[in-house]
Amino acid sequence: MPTLSADPYLKRDDPTGYAGVDRATKERLINEVFEDPRFPHYLYGCYECGICVAACPSARFYDFSPRRIAQAAARRDVELLFQQMEEDIWECSQCFSCLRCPRGNNPGGIVTIMREVAVREGLASAKEALAGYSRIIYKIMSTGTQVSPDMLQPDAFPDWGPEVKDVSVNLDLWRRMLPPETLHTTTTGWQVADRTLVELYVIWLETGALDMIAQVDKGIHMILAELMEERLEEEGIEV
Amino acid sequence: MTTSAVNVILSKKERFVREPDQRSEDFHHHLFELEAAGELVVQRVSGEVVEVPTKYGIPKRIQKGHLWHHKSCGQCGHIPGYSTSIFWIMRKLGYDYLDPEDQTSCTAWNYYASATSNQAAQAAVAVRNFAAAYQTGYFPLIHCGTSYGHYKEVRSELLHDAALRAQVRKVMEKLGKPLVLPEEIVHYSEWLYAVRDEIAARAVRDVSNIAVTVHPACHYYKLVEGDAIYDPDVYHGQRTAAVSGLVQALGADLRSYSTFFDCCGFGFRHILVQRDFTRSFSTLRKIEVMREEADPDVVLTHDTGCVTALDKSQFAAQAHERNVGVPVMSEAQFAALAMGAHPFKVCQLHWHSTNYRPLLEKMGIDWRQAWAEFEEDAKRLQDGRQQFLTWADVDA
Amino acid sequence: MDRIVVIGGGPAGLSAGIAAAELGAPVTLVERNGFLGGRPIEENYASITPYLEDAATVMGRMEERLRAAGDVEVLLDSEVVHAAGEGPYTLTIRTPEGERTQEASAIVVATGFTHFDPGRETQLYGYYEFPDVIALQDLEAMLKEHKVVRPSNGEPPKRVCFIQCVGSRDRQIGNEYCSKVCCGVASKEAIEVRQMLPDSEVFIFYIDMRMYGYWERQLYWPAQEQHHVQYVKGIVTEVLPKDGRLLIRGEDTTMGRPMETLMDLVVLSVGMEPSPGTRKIAGILGLAQNRYGFIEVQHPPLDTVGTSRPGIFAAGAALGPSDLEDCASSGGLAAARAVATWRAAAMAGAR
Repeated sequence: MPTLSADPYLKRDDPTGYAGVDRATKERLINEVFEDPRFPHYLYGCYECGICVAACPSARFYDFSPRRIAQAAARRDVELLFQQMEEDIWECSQCFSCLRCPRGNNPGGIVTIMREVAVREGLASAKEALAGYSRIIYKIMSTGTQVSPDMLQPDAFPDWGPEVKDVSVNLDLWRRMLPPETLHTTTTGWQVADRTLVELYVIWLETGALDMIAQVDKGIHMILAELMEERLEEEGIEV
Repeated sequence: MTTSAVNVILSKKERFVREPDQRSEDFHHHLFELEAAGELVVQRVSGEVVEVPTKYGIPKRIQKGHLWHHKSCGQCGHIPGYSTSIFWIMRKLGYDYLDPEDQTSCTAWNYYASATSNQAAQAAVAVRNFAAAYQTGYFPLIHCGTSYGHYKEVRSELLHDAALRAQVRKVMEKLGKPLVLPEEIVHYSEWLYAVRDEIAARAVRDVSNIAVTVHPACHYYKLVEGDAIYDPDVYHGQRTAAVSGLVQALGADLRSYSTFFDCCGFGFRHILVQRDFTRSFSTLRKIEVMREEADPDVVLTHDTGCVTALDKSQFAAQAHERNVGVPVMSEAQFAALAMGAHPFKVCQLHWHSTNYRPLLEKMGIDWRQAWAEFEEDAKRLQDGRQQFLTWADVDA
Repeated sequence: MDRIVVIGGGPAGLSAGIAAAELGAPVTLVERNGFLGGRPIEENYASITPYLEDAATVMGRMEERLRAAGDVEVLLDSEVVHAAGEGPYTLTIRTPEGERTQEASAIVVATGFTHFDPGRETQLYGYYEFPDVIALQDLEAMLKEHKVVRPSNGEPPKRVCFIQCVGSRDRQIGNEYCSKVCCGVASKEAIEVRQMLPDSEVFIFYIDMRMYGYWERQLYWPAQEQHHVQYVKGIVTEVLPKDGRLLIRGEDTTMGRPMETLMDLVVLSVGMEPSPGTRKIAGILGLAQNRYGFIEVQHPPLDTVGTSRPGIFAAGAALGPSDLEDCASSGGLAAARAVATWRAAAMAGAR
């Protein structure tokens, strides 16, 4: 395990404004990132060439830089990485334009790992970034599809235009006006077989993915856990 | 006789011939090695196959028929004309397929938005879907660009990480499913590219007067880029041939613009809970540039998120008097229209935000008449004389 | 009769041939083109780096020296097509007059490099799509004609930029090396453009500036100080047409923000790869190649010319990215080793 930088050359007393969080916690979180099995494939060396920033959509609208993330990770700068975990990572649009990196780095992938750690550890910034997102999590985990037809409501998407209202008003009829048989649903994107849902629940429970959202939204986690465990009990499946 | 330097330079650019690249990793080798070692099962491409050229020159095999439609949650949820058009084209060309209920979303939209998942769960979801296809004998065709990109990522992780394979295998055992990976991960736009001449042969509408700008999906060609189709006859092999190859085959007026490689700004999380980013990006970096430089009649793309971002971002931007107002749809819907598909019963354009009517008029489609036909069918359903619109109704 | 066969008549091959002949050995030089001089002549280089002397003149002088050096036989439009033996070797050479064999106890491989084809680049430069995106050697050819223009319209460019490291230093392409000379060559060409078009603005976008040794003062400082070439740290990643010109995109790393700006002419500093001739001769002679396809030396760093087969030496860019001084040095060393081999064979009565 490479040593974290105890004395990065940009040493200041409170370089990133997170003096309230103790060093040990920061190191633990950052080490979780470095120890992820994907990390060695996501960070080689960094030329500071700027290709990733030039290609990045988030870099144009936020003070966001995939180069700074790769550099912080390469320098093992715990303080800077922790700040990025609290402030920057939710600005990434996960487009992977940064994969144009000549060294083969994947700054977007480093962001994905940092996000997983932030979610698992229940960082306040992760909760904040995902506030208002819980119903999507509930939908995808419980039904295996995301953003169902009945979620197209004018109060949820007023900026998408007046046809959202038309859709919601005519929803049941318009869904029946779709020739593909599996699309005759309003609560899910397509008809998902019951057995398939059971298999999905097994995956969430066996891999620990369900428990990740306990930190993000306790209520949703409880509901989902109950739902899934009950369903699996009915099928006689043990996890 | 000497040729001037400029003429030598120009003649060099006439055709790009890709020399075989010895150093790009061909994942197939590893895939078949692991299969031989009993580590996983490979679902092979079979039947009628088309070989297409890819970025590093590794040939990719596209199975034409007997396909398992891996649907897109976003498409089926709120742009259902997209999925419907894919099915319709496949039926028109006479290829059999399976539209499964035993399919979950790839869940990558959620994963890229919120990271409320982990490597093993994502891999298990992918493999579960692949196994489901394998068990039917139909070969998976991926509808969404993000599913496609994410599954390529998962494939790479599974090929290189024995511990991950073991973990996923254990989960699959609980489900009574083998650890399956398909020989190729195929995006529907690659299938459209492979059959583009068959589509063009069945076109009943002349689209040579339709100006088109193409937006290629980041997850299609930037994420694990070796799988993407690159064709020396399309952009001299310098940009992906997906979508553009079909547009060329249809004879439409393909136009370029200076932000071709920019992301659409979908952002996964941003499109739902931070829409000012998506809206600004889609409008300022894509739509406005396209309108200023290319003045398209329609914007075509091949991914759920891209259609969503580009289509839905224009309405609010109008209030700020931005230069927006061009219809956005998938190339599947456009190709279907060219083949004579009904704009509402098949392409389901009424689910789109942007105004498609000028485009339909330019294509010689009487949308008022078409809407009346749609409403007639709707009435039959409302009266209870029929429950659902069927494929038979659509082609009547 | 046993002769030293030098395969390739570029800078390294000529250096080796001259040195071997001046040491008293009989030399046969085999060149596939109808002229000597190698890449600089084939691709119409204007001047050499860093001295800015006319390339054709320099190579012409070398050719003269070769022909005056002693027992030298030059076979143009010729190619070695077969080799037999374990050393000494029997080579089959295809010449315009037909095939002939040649005994050789020592061989020098100097088959050189080829320029990286920018169509395979990871970044999005559109060389095959846009007439005004050219490569270093394309600009050399225009400089040689004293006519630097935009190929699209024949007009002299107002804003010119070089993009470094094209095809080199990239894990995805697989050329995980630096091509050594492109920073110097680009700087040289930038100076020449500024001299030819005093109203032009010239930029070089780079990852690092590789100005080893004396090049620092011979090229880098004068480019910036006398000729006002703008060096910008932050490589360009995309080139697309806009308003009849070329829009380039990179990062302004000083400010840490994406930047885009318009250019008239974009010059790609393409790297070196083993030439098709190098790949072919490696197969014919059974020479070990490194993972990039260049001839692999067996005992680096101080033996820069010994290959995996006895009596066969390599010189110049067949070994890897080389500048002219490298060609001269490795050519000379290869000649010395070849002559020693040839003498030993003569003494052993192998002649």
